[in-house]
Amino acid sequence: MFAWLAACLRKVFTRRRAESELDEELQYHIEMETRAHLARGLSAAEARRLALGSLGGVTQATESVRAVRTLWVESVWQDVRHACRVLRRRPAVSVAAVSMLALGIGITTAMFTVVDALILRPVPFHASDQLAYVLMFSGRQGRNPGPDVLRAWQHSPAFANAESADTGTAGISVDGIVVARRISHVTPGVFDMLGSVRPILGRLFVASDTGNGILLSEDAWRNLFHADSAIVGRAVTIDGTPQVVVGVLPAEFRFPSWNTAIWQAVSLESPPASSPSRIVRFASNVPRLDALRVATDTARAADPTVAQFSAQARPLVDEFLDPYYKRAVPVLASGVVLVFFVLCANVSSLLLARLTARQREFSMRSALGASRGRLIRQAFVESCVLGALGAIAGIAIGWTLVSLSRSFLPGAFLLRTLNPVDIDLRTLVVTSVAGVVATLAAGLVPAWIGTRLAPDASLRVTERGGTETRGARAATRALLVGEIALACTLLVVATLLVRSFINLSSADRGLDANGKLVAMIWLPKPAFPDPAARAAGARRIEDEVRALPGVQHVAWSYGLPPEGGWTQSGKWQSDAPGAAVIQMDVDGYTVGPEFFALYGIALARGRMFEPADAQGSVVVSERLARLLWPGLDPIGRTFSLEDRGTMRVAGQVIGIVKETHFPSLDAKLDKPQLYRRFSAVQVPAMLSIACAPTCPKVDVVRQLVMAIHPSIRVSDIRIQVLEDVYFEQLARPRATAALSFAFAAIALLASAGGLFSVLSYAVARRKREFGIRTALGASPNDIRQLVFRDGVGVASTGLVIGTATAWLLARALTALQYGVAVTDPITWGAVVGLLALTTVAACWRPARQATRAELVVLLREE
Amino acid sequence: MARPDLLHGTLDLLVLRILALGPNHGWGISNRLQQMSKDGLTTSQGSLYPSLHRLETQGFVASEMRASDNNRRARVYTITPVGRRRLATETENWEQFALSVKRILNGT
Repeated sequence: MFAWLAACLRKVFTRRRAESELDEELQYHIEMETRAHLARGLSAAEARRLALGSLGGVTQATESVRAVRTLWVESVWQDVRHACRVLRRRPAVSVAAVSMLALGIGITTAMFTVVDALILRPVPFHASDQLAYVLMFSGRQGRNPGPDVLRAWQHSPAFANAESADTGTAGISVDGIVVARRISHVTPGVFDMLGSVRPILGRLFVASDTGNGILLSEDAWRNLFHADSAIVGRAVTIDGTPQVVVGVLPAEFRFPSWNTAIWQAVSLESPPASSPSRIVRFASNVPRLDALRVATDTARAADPTVAQFSAQARPLVDEFLDPYYKRAVPVLASGVVLVFFVLCANVSSLLLARLTARQREFSMRSALGASRGRLIRQAFVESCVLGALGAIAGIAIGWTLVSLSRSFLPGAFLLRTLNPVDIDLRTLVVTSVAGVVATLAAGLVPAWIGTRLAPDASLRVTERGGTETRGARAATRALLVGEIALACTLLVVATLLVRSFINLSSADRGLDANGKLVAMIWLPKPAFPDPAARAAGARRIEDEVRALPGVQHVAWSYGLPPEGGWTQSGKWQSDAPGAAVIQMDVDGYTVGPEFFALYGIALARGRMFEPADAQGSVVVSERLARLLWPGLDPIGRTFSLEDRGTMRVAGQVIGIVKETHFPSLDAKLDKPQLYRRFSAVQVPAMLSIACAPTCPKVDVVRQLVMAIHPSIRVSDIRIQVLEDVYFEQLARPRATAALSFAFAAIALLASAGGLFSVLSYAVARRKREFGIRTALGASPNDIRQLVFRDGVGVASTGLVIGTATAWLLARALTALQYGVAVTDPITWGAVVGLLALTTVAACWRPARQATRAELVVLLREE
Repeated sequence: MARPDLLHGTLDLLVLRILALGPNHGWGISNRLQQMSKDGLTTSQGSLYPSLHRLETQGFVASEMRASDNNRRARVYTITPVGRRRLATETENWEQFALSVKRILNGT
């Protein structure tokens, strides 16, 4: 094997010497043969002629030896060089073909990086399928296990590691101003558990950092501390207490949420009132169910209050795989694939047109001895060269698109993933594959059809004889029909998505949470030992807050809209006769009397809570009323919930309020609401303040509340900006709509360009025919009609197929549409109109060209 | 320019046989062919040289440029041990083939 390779290499390098030696060899033969003839008595000239004849032609002989000695690789290389010469001769076509291929490959590459980051590998940690949140679930409610349970789990064989992390908001003091940022309290071992985490400055947490050690995110370090290189070791004030900065984490690290700016090391005995989430890494050698069973037993042994609970795991991956993306991204990916094939079809028809113009060249080659296979190989090598150039340019385009998308679509797609969107080895592999597919798709058909030769083609004097070959014509038209169908499909999808987005963004949210000041207030047990003390404390806080200037409403609650309070899931049954048991999740809030007025949630029927109301009185949202009591008046009715196997009456309706929509209008994600009356302040409670014109500064309110009693804690205090909360929800449909619009535009332009170039080329080849027709009495209109008929015929076939495909596809997309029906006449009308307009525009110039055929010039060419 | 495979292989076989008698150059081999077949075979020398180069590519013969009289260099071919083995195999195959053909032609 190696000897053969060595011989091949040697042959390649000594080719020139070998050629001259072959020459010598054959000359020697001729000399000897001549001498032999001379010896027999023939004249010198005769002898030489016979000698030359005996060899069968020196050129032929040399050629046949070369055919034996040439390596397969050398002949392909020859083809490549010839292809480069041909492509250089027609730069416009080559540039057009390469740019279209590059665009197709580029967007495929960019799309793959997004799909990779969002769906294929959303979590960059080591063995991420072993990571999960674990909580204790009792069938009706879930609870994060306490520190004793966590300690027991750390020593359990079911888990390799068990750590905790929670999220909240904290105030950082920067240059004297306090800014609110998301903070996460984590146990120090969490980074080792996640794996593959490397700080850009400093180090990660060690056990001794608990209580006095924080990590900053790269974002916070750059924006708040101006990328200060001496930040490690500095003390930064968090919520009033100075903490030492231990290191800076890179921007790609986005755990536990995408906007966490500070990580604080806490010990297992975290502050008594908070309930942080527990994250574990399952041991690799224990099956999942067994591990959960062991965890349940361990937990029950460590903490008697969870005796009725069992452990449930929620994979880490699921936290970040947004259901919207799971639906939207495949749609977009298919859009990209469609556009890719449209562009390939365009390149294909371009190449076909070029190849059929070179009939004479191919017939000449065929006469010189090239087989059909050889011709096809030559034509295909030209496509391969284009494909290779397109792939290289495609990587550049893909990289540009990815960089652009990072700055243009931040919230929508990128920040929700833990993995940064970037070009890496996998992407390059995908690019190469895309390049190969593009070359095959664009190159095979033209190579096959373009080299099909009429037997007497080389004998024709004029190159422009007749029209295209039948095969070429059929192929080009078929490609165009395909392109237009694809463009039509994409247009329909894009229009539906754009209209959905417009509906979404102008939808009524049902509440006004903008500008409200919200806070979580802790009244710890030591200072407020019983409910009476807590109620007194709460009343004092309320009075003080009401005294602030501008405050209009104050309300206590459990649960802050629109993010939701607690989720009541399980089986519901209304008291209507013959009512079925419904399994659903409902957003639950416990609210004080001014809550609805504060948040602008309008009352539809019935009344709000009054102090005299029984504990079981509830206010339901319109949607919940419709679900439980369709067509009936729910006021005064009761409903039951399943509790440990039986249905128990859980509440009586006293009022109905308007539905609030969160996270979006999507009925699958949005839950109906249930409001209970806020009776007594537990240790933590949420306070909402509405003021006009604006609320006082967060600092002011915090200090005011904390001044009432030294052990009161205020956390998560912030002014709600509604846009922040709904930002992601709107950004996603906006980005989806924008992207599909871009794809549809590309596809439409590509089809228009394809139609234009094919028609121009056909007209150019039919110039003689048009000249003769004009001479025979056809008017310019008749000629134009011929061309238009060609173009419109292709376009209408494409439109019909495209409409049918789009219809089927639109049904699959109902999940992404809001308020837009599949049969929307405006959408379909707009698409058909746009395509008709494009067709006419594409046919215009070729039609005009056709009527300009100069008869005298044509005749002279004959 | 495809030749029927039979002739391909047959010419190669004959060339190997001639080279087995001693190293030779192209013209010499062609003469020898004519001579040994008592003028029954005259190959178009257009197919002789491709055959020789093919044999060299396959490793059955080795060649080198040698100076000859009349100031020209000639490429002289020598059979290799692998070539000899190949000659033996192909000769046997050919004899089998010829025998079968003869049987069919003479049979009833």
